[in-house]
Amino acid sequence: MTTTTATVRSRPRITLAPTLAKPLAAAGGVLAVIAALLPWTTFVLFDNDEVNPSLQYFDAPFALSGYRLHTMLLGLAVLVVAFVPRIPGRARAQRALGFGIAAIGLISLIFLSYNGGGVGTVTAADGDAAFGAVVALVAGVLVVLSAIAAGITDIPDFPTRLPRLAAYGALVLAFAAILFLVAETLTAGGRSGVSNPYAGPTFLAFLGMAGGVLGALSGVGVVRWISALSERHRAFSIIILVLCALSLPLTSAGNAYWMTVATTIGVYAATAIGLNVVVGLAGLLDLGYVAFMGVGAFVAANLSGAATSKLGIELPFPVAALIAAILAGIVGAIVGSPTLRVRGDYLAIVTLAFGEIFTRSAQNDIGGLTGGSNAIPRIPDVELGGTAFNEEIQVGGLELPGGVLYYFMIVLVVGAVMAVFANLKNSRAGRAWIAIREDEDAARAMGIRTGKAKIMAFLVGATLAGLAGAIFAHKLTIASFDSFKFLESVTLLAAVILGGMGTIPGAVLGASLLFVLPEKLREFDDYRLLLFGLALILIMRFRPQGLVPDRVRRAELAGETATGKSIDEEEALVVEQEHDGPTGKKGGTA
Amino acid sequence: MTTLLQQIANGIALGATIGLIALGYTMVYGIIQLINFAHGEVFMVGAFGGLAVHRWLLPEAWQGDWYISLPLMIVGGVVVAVTIALIMERFAYRPLRNAPRLAPLITALGVSIVLQEAIRIWFPNAESAQAYPKAFIDAQVDLGPVSISASKLLIIVVSVALSVGLQLYVTKSRMGRAMRATAQDRDTARLMGVNPDRVIVLTFLIGAALAGVAGVLYGVDITNVDNAIGFQNGIFAFTAAVLGGIGSLRGAVIGAFIIGLIKTLGGQYMPGGTQYDYVWIFVVLIFVLVFRPQGLFGEAERVRA
Amino acid sequence: MKASALVAAGALLLTACGTNKTESGGTAGGGNANCDTSKGTLVVGVIAPLSGELSALGLGIKNSADLAVREANDKCAVPGYKIALDAQDDQKNPQQGAQAATKLSQDDNLLGVVGTLNSSVSLAVAPILSQNKIVQVSPANTSDSLTKGEDLNAPKRQFPTYFRTCTVDSLQGPFAADFLVGEQSKKKIAIVTDGLTYGEGLAAEFAKKAEALGAQIVTRQKIGEKDTDFSSVIAAIKPSAPDALYFGGQYPQAGPMSKQLKDAGLDIPVMGGDGIFDDKFMSLGGKDGDYATSVGAPTDSLESAKTFIEAYNKAGFQDGYSAYGAFSYDATNAIIGAAVTTINGGEWSTDKREDLVASVAKYNAQGATGAITFDEFGDSTNKVLTVYSVSGGEWVPAKTGTYEG
Repeated sequence: MTTTTATVRSRPRITLAPTLAKPLAAAGGVLAVIAALLPWTTFVLFDNDEVNPSLQYFDAPFALSGYRLHTMLLGLAVLVVAFVPRIPGRARAQRALGFGIAAIGLISLIFLSYNGGGVGTVTAADGDAAFGAVVALVAGVLVVLSAIAAGITDIPDFPTRLPRLAAYGALVLAFAAILFLVAETLTAGGRSGVSNPYAGPTFLAFLGMAGGVLGALSGVGVVRWISALSERHRAFSIIILVLCALSLPLTSAGNAYWMTVATTIGVYAATAIGLNVVVGLAGLLDLGYVAFMGVGAFVAANLSGAATSKLGIELPFPVAALIAAILAGIVGAIVGSPTLRVRGDYLAIVTLAFGEIFTRSAQNDIGGLTGGSNAIPRIPDVELGGTAFNEEIQVGGLELPGGVLYYFMIVLVVGAVMAVFANLKNSRAGRAWIAIREDEDAARAMGIRTGKAKIMAFLVGATLAGLAGAIFAHKLTIASFDSFKFLESVTLLAAVILGGMGTIPGAVLGASLLFVLPEKLREFDDYRLLLFGLALILIMRFRPQGLVPDRVRRAELAGETATGKSIDEEEALVVEQEHDGPTGKKGGTA
Repeated sequence: MTTLLQQIANGIALGATIGLIALGYTMVYGIIQLINFAHGEVFMVGAFGGLAVHRWLLPEAWQGDWYISLPLMIVGGVVVAVTIALIMERFAYRPLRNAPRLAPLITALGVSIVLQEAIRIWFPNAESAQAYPKAFIDAQVDLGPVSISASKLLIIVVSVALSVGLQLYVTKSRMGRAMRATAQDRDTARLMGVNPDRVIVLTFLIGAALAGVAGVLYGVDITNVDNAIGFQNGIFAFTAAVLGGIGSLRGAVIGAFIIGLIKTLGGQYMPGGTQYDYVWIFVVLIFVLVFRPQGLFGEAERVRA
Repeated sequence: MKASALVAAGALLLTACGTNKTESGGTAGGGNANCDTSKGTLVVGVIAPLSGELSALGLGIKNSADLAVREANDKCAVPGYKIALDAQDDQKNPQQGAQAATKLSQDDNLLGVVGTLNSSVSLAVAPILSQNKIVQVSPANTSDSLTKGEDLNAPKRQFPTYFRTCTVDSLQGPFAADFLVGEQSKKKIAIVTDGLTYGEGLAAEFAKKAEALGAQIVTRQKIGEKDTDFSSVIAAIKPSAPDALYFGGQYPQAGPMSKQLKDAGLDIPVMGGDGIFDDKFMSLGGKDGDYATSVGAPTDSLESAKTFIEAYNKAGFQDGYSAYGAFSYDATNAIIGAAVTTINGGEWSTDKREDLVASVAKYNAQGATGAITFDEFGDSTNKVLTVYSVSGGEWVPAKTGTYEG
């Protein structure tokens, strides 16, 4: 059983004549533009619309803003892509744009007809007609069909050997665009809450638009080009990325709320990077990972001088954080030690058991160090030169929101971690981990000291988690066993998988998505966990390689190469151009 | 001494429930090497299935007579549990059968969360604990110094009977032989005329049916259920299956009794008392996995990458 | 073929189109059309677990706050403004609670926050709200340390913006001990707790007082927060032959515990705090002769309580008001009432938040749980407690009194 064809990518079943591509795209594009100009509901849904009259759903036709503007822009983009000659990867771009348009239409359709009490809301009722959402949906479908008719081709390659300055310029532009996108995404739909019942759907529609545009860029090869460029100029990229992240408080997302959320994301991202080392690189599944973060948090809490901690020791934060990280690392090495004898699923269960033991012990105030059910509250803020980290600060003429210093701290930490780990995959230790992941016995036969390497993976991962936990405890001002339960471990694991196992940007992206989405979609609180569970199932079914797949993983999990080609067609090409690891030969073990 | 005996009796009763669940874990693992993390939730859903039958299907006249209502509730629980398990197998696990091992494990976690939440959201009032009908003789049985409820005795009897029955089925029947063949080597079994898909479906079906029975009996004994009972008992059952040697039916049942005893006796006699009783279960689990990963009755683990 | 399908679908849509247009206009919060709401909307925030295992209690808190807001809107309570409820889920997780608090505090129209359910979540929420000078009234935190700090002998107010309408462990626990040890002469008591802040704190205060009254705590056991089979705990308790059991926890476990105790031949009364004072306690196995303490005089003797329950049932919520509904109703009314005094016909602005805190501190009205006023620490001055006992499957008041230390 050494075939790689077992997980063949599902291909669209519909086939259309290629000649239909252009007319379909034209029709879809025009329809999308028309949809943007039509009204979208037949009547005003919520009684406080007088208070907030700018809502795009009820604006007079032709007044364009928000998602209606997005629909129009996407439609125009479709037309441009359809008629400009020699666009590489055209069909992929069209497909993404089509899905974007359809998503906006569908989301609005569902939201409006659900809240309006029937499809009359989005079609015609009482003499008013409002077909905007329906038309947008149809337009999106037509565009997708046109892409199918044209036939999906390879993602094109662009040269990446540019003059240094040109490359830097492109990277700065790209990252600035990402910053803009992040800020827009965070604030899209406005503040959700009672005064704004549209926040959820408007945000989702924005995601549809952003996804469409990103997909189109990826389809024409821009995303690959940028990532290849950033790979080539790695140091510069990381500096620019950190600078961009540091300027987030200056954008529309610069308020205490988003600083808090962004800090939390940073904490979990750092932890996820650590987990990524253990799971993504070394292939050791850990289901109790959040315990390491807990160890870090409790150690930091005990060394913070909090009145409620039993030790009453007060150390400066950097020292306390360092100790927290080291202790978490030691615990990690201990938890990892069964890996010397236990493999695969069994290891997952051992780590789950350790996680449960940790939670239980913390809840029972073991050694008086965790505060038990009372937790350790009132952990003082980190201070720097007399400024508490949760205060608003002024730099020159700039007013920065509360909590911004925590945000800066975590950005620097994550940035440093990314810098250190960016090369990890190609380092000696990283290669050893990957070898273990692929075939432990073979790795051992090749002279890798597998035991040492595996414990090292746990140690490194847990150290990171411990450091993140220390920051978490101070930012939150409380260290409680409630924060470190099984579900958190699952969420972290999901972040790593969603982002793409084995890739550092993937871990950061996954953590961001899994912690931003629930914040933005608080309206669906009751279904939050249900949707999370469904997402886990669907990701594993349809995109197990994650959003930013590692090349090797991609081959292994999705049976496709980095260009999106299916491996069984491309087997000859996949055979190594490089030397950093076996590709796509994972069969025979399942 | 009385306390010791009483705790042993409690441990055996707990072990009997866990054992019925553990059989499902061990069978599925034996055949497709999948830790079906959601199997605990099948148990939970089964309990709610029985509750639904009692609440909405049973005529009131029958509700008082346990010999009518209990069998019907068990049937209801089994039907619901089996349905859920088969849907799960078909739509969540089967597409991943050749995927790397991580994928189905994560999927199982997802299924587990979905089932828990689905019950909480859509079963009326299930956001907090639900009273469960005592559809059995509500009495204590005194066995010397030990006193045990009649419903717990029933669980022990049913559990032992079903395990023995299953063992016989797997060793003697034609389908059982097909199961064992598939467990050993799916490809060879296919060559020998066994349809592995059918065997896998049957495995899920039997496991779910046992879990369904366990769910209803558990509810009847404890007289209340909530959507969290599956996770906790599922973990215990999984531990039992590993302890006994995953893949081994006999091992799962014996492992379950050992887990039951560790929990009750550990809570009684180990330092820390009942608040640390889980901890002992997990400590034992870790030691078994580290020093005897094949479990007490399992074969030595085949090498897997 | 595709086109015809589209046409057919379109036709279907047109024929099947219905809307709720006529009855809409009141999707969020109802409201009296005659009120002047020209100045906009003010917001009362709620932070409680709205999903997960504690959602029954959390939804009770949210709905009761909603009821208070609706009533205020019907009465045009704050001239010129409409009041809206903004409920945020904390998933009983401090980090989620902190995020919810930060989020709410970004809203300039926010008056104050009702919540949380869990003391541990409040410990993360209160610092944020107090930094932003936003008043918080909790309907359910019973941990003494939230108002008075760790050392009850040298109490020090922790958060100037924090108040609560419910009682604290240091009143409820000893009150129960007075009753169980003093009046019922139970001298050998077993204590079982669920390992959560509420149960642990309550049981600790109970034990202190009970021992001072000469009772013996014969055994202390802790159960897992998700356990339902208590046979091994009961077997561990049995040899010490207690004549009563004090349960620090909530009704989903207290009910089965009571029943399983009796089944195991240990037919002793189970007593607990307001966490088990719920009708579901009986349906889950609570037996005649069990006790619970609860704050305030019995609802039958309190006109305002009856009014609340009637209004709640009429409002058509899906979930019951649960253990903390009445406190949540009172907490919301305290915030709205204080807002009326603070705004005093003028304009709301964030500058008035401090005044609002001061108004809440001076608030004085009759609520569903009795007279609502706050002492210098932010605790409710309502120290009236009632012991209820189960009789004929219902809670019946057994003793009402004031606990004075």
